Amino acid sequence: MSDTTATLAPASGDALSEDWLAVAVGLLLFGLSLALLGGADLLGWTVSTSVWTDPKTALGTVTKGYGGLGGASALVLTYLVLLGLLSAGTFLLKANVGRFAAAFTVVFWIAYASWILGSYAHFAVVTPADYQKFGISWSLKLTNEGGYIFALIAGLIIANGFPRLAAWLSEAIRPELYIKVAIVILGAFIAVTAAARLSLASSLLVRGFAAIVEAYLIYWSVVYLVARKFFGFNREWAAPLASGISICGVAAAIATGGAIRARPQIPVLVSSLVVIFAVVEVLILPFLAQTFLWREPLLAATWMGLAVKTDGAAVAAGGITESLILAKSAAEGINYQPGWILGTTAAVKLFIDVVIGFWAFLLAHIWTNHINRVPGAARAKVSEIYERFPKFIFGFVVTFAIGLTLALSSAPATNAKLTAAIGEANGYRVIFFILTFFSIGVLSNFRKLWEEGIGKLAAVYLVSLFGFVIWVGLMISWLFFAGVKPPLAG
Amino acid sequence: MPQSNFKRELAKAAPEPLLPIEKKLIAWSFGTGIVLLLVLAVLNQYLPK
Repeated sequence: MSDTTATLAPASGDALSEDWLAVAVGLLLFGLSLALLGGADLLGWTVSTSVWTDPKTALGTVTKGYGGLGGASALVLTYLVLLGLLSAGTFLLKANVGRFAAAFTVVFWIAYASWILGSYAHFAVVTPADYQKFGISWSLKLTNEGGYIFALIAGLIIANGFPRLAAWLSEAIRPELYIKVAIVILGAFIAVTAAARLSLASSLLVRGFAAIVEAYLIYWSVVYLVARKFFGFNREWAAPLASGISICGVAAAIATGGAIRARPQIPVLVSSLVVIFAVVEVLILPFLAQTFLWREPLLAATWMGLAVKTDGAAVAAGGITESLILAKSAAEGINYQPGWILGTTAAVKLFIDVVIGFWAFLLAHIWTNHINRVPGAARAKVSEIYERFPKFIFGFVVTFAIGLTLALSSAPATNAKLTAAIGEANGYRVIFFILTFFSIGVLSNFRKLWEEGIGKLAAVYLVSLFGFVIWVGLMISWLFFAGVKPPLAG
Repeated sequence: MPQSNFKRELAKAAPEPLLPIEKKLIAWSFGTGIVLLLVLAVLNQYLPK
């Protein structure tokens, strides 16, 4: 199994954590985009990708003002800037900068090539109007966000066919970092979207509390019972497993493992399993949602947030689901405003994330005081709530607050500039999503995991996820979100 | 412990019965969850769509 510890902890001593690095990178990109409000377009040169039949038209720049740069140059420049930014970040993580830079070069170019491939008209186009526009007679109808799937598949091919390459790339395989940067940037995008319909956004937040209740209280208790009583796992295994399956995959398994003082390898192995199942879910659930739930877009969005169990896969699944459902709805003459489905999935997932620290503290308290009470050993401390809190959420809150404040207090002309600025930052959100998908794929070496004894763990996961979590999640989503639709565009 | 030993460890693990505190955690979590969900479901009826 590729070493997930590279994604979970800094290399040593006083190094920055990945969470805080994600906050820094996300806020920097967001801040640069806001310069547009003052008339300075600092990110307009960033590469953008359009649906294409002629490869020469695939790439361009985010703003027309930089069009003279050309798409290929924009791509190279985007790569160089991200290489510099993330290499500096790797230095602060006290990881190997040289190895990261070399690996990131390969990661970026393979991942972005997958994105360009996903934008090929015969893969992406959905509506009859677009068939005509591109002069094609068939398409896989994946939308251009099918590029995420191609990036995932590219990663899977490397993980399972070229394991030595996967190992060499490991320094730059950081899906948790990439998705956290994306989520920090996403905060502003969601805020600007929500500002247009504040009452709907508020009610979505309230409904989101149901997600917390479901994940922590209902899912966790059932999965823990199944793992302990029916599969015979001991407490050291069952608790991280229950958290990984119920709450938030990697982060929750690691936090729980630490809270109950489990051996470190156990939550890492559970995390690997979470990633594998998330990959399977991302390949299936958005398409199920498009087929059966396209008339209930926000129900589908919530379902993604409740059923897919890593931040990266869940938020990205929300993005794919949005693309697929908006396309199908548009084909039926219903044009929903973009951003609501993705935003709802992200909000549901983040609500669940927020409580990880509290849950870890509760488990630590129970374990150190009632289950593994060792005289003289340290008890659970309240400070663990903060220590376990996913710090990247602070970044999300900052960009959300600034975005919302600007959107609600600005004149229409300024709001138009704000939307454009957020659009530029959003381009980076997409790039970090692509890197996340590719990285998740590279982490998923199915054969190696089987050799490491993951079979019994996988059985619990299979029974819990496909026997309970997904369907109860769908039922709860239906209970709270049936009939709740995003606003129409225009 | 080498990861290859986990397979053997999981296969040979002795049963570990549920402690009273574990049963309490499961029961209270599930029960509180159901009650809270019902409360939120009722509140949901009054939220704008």
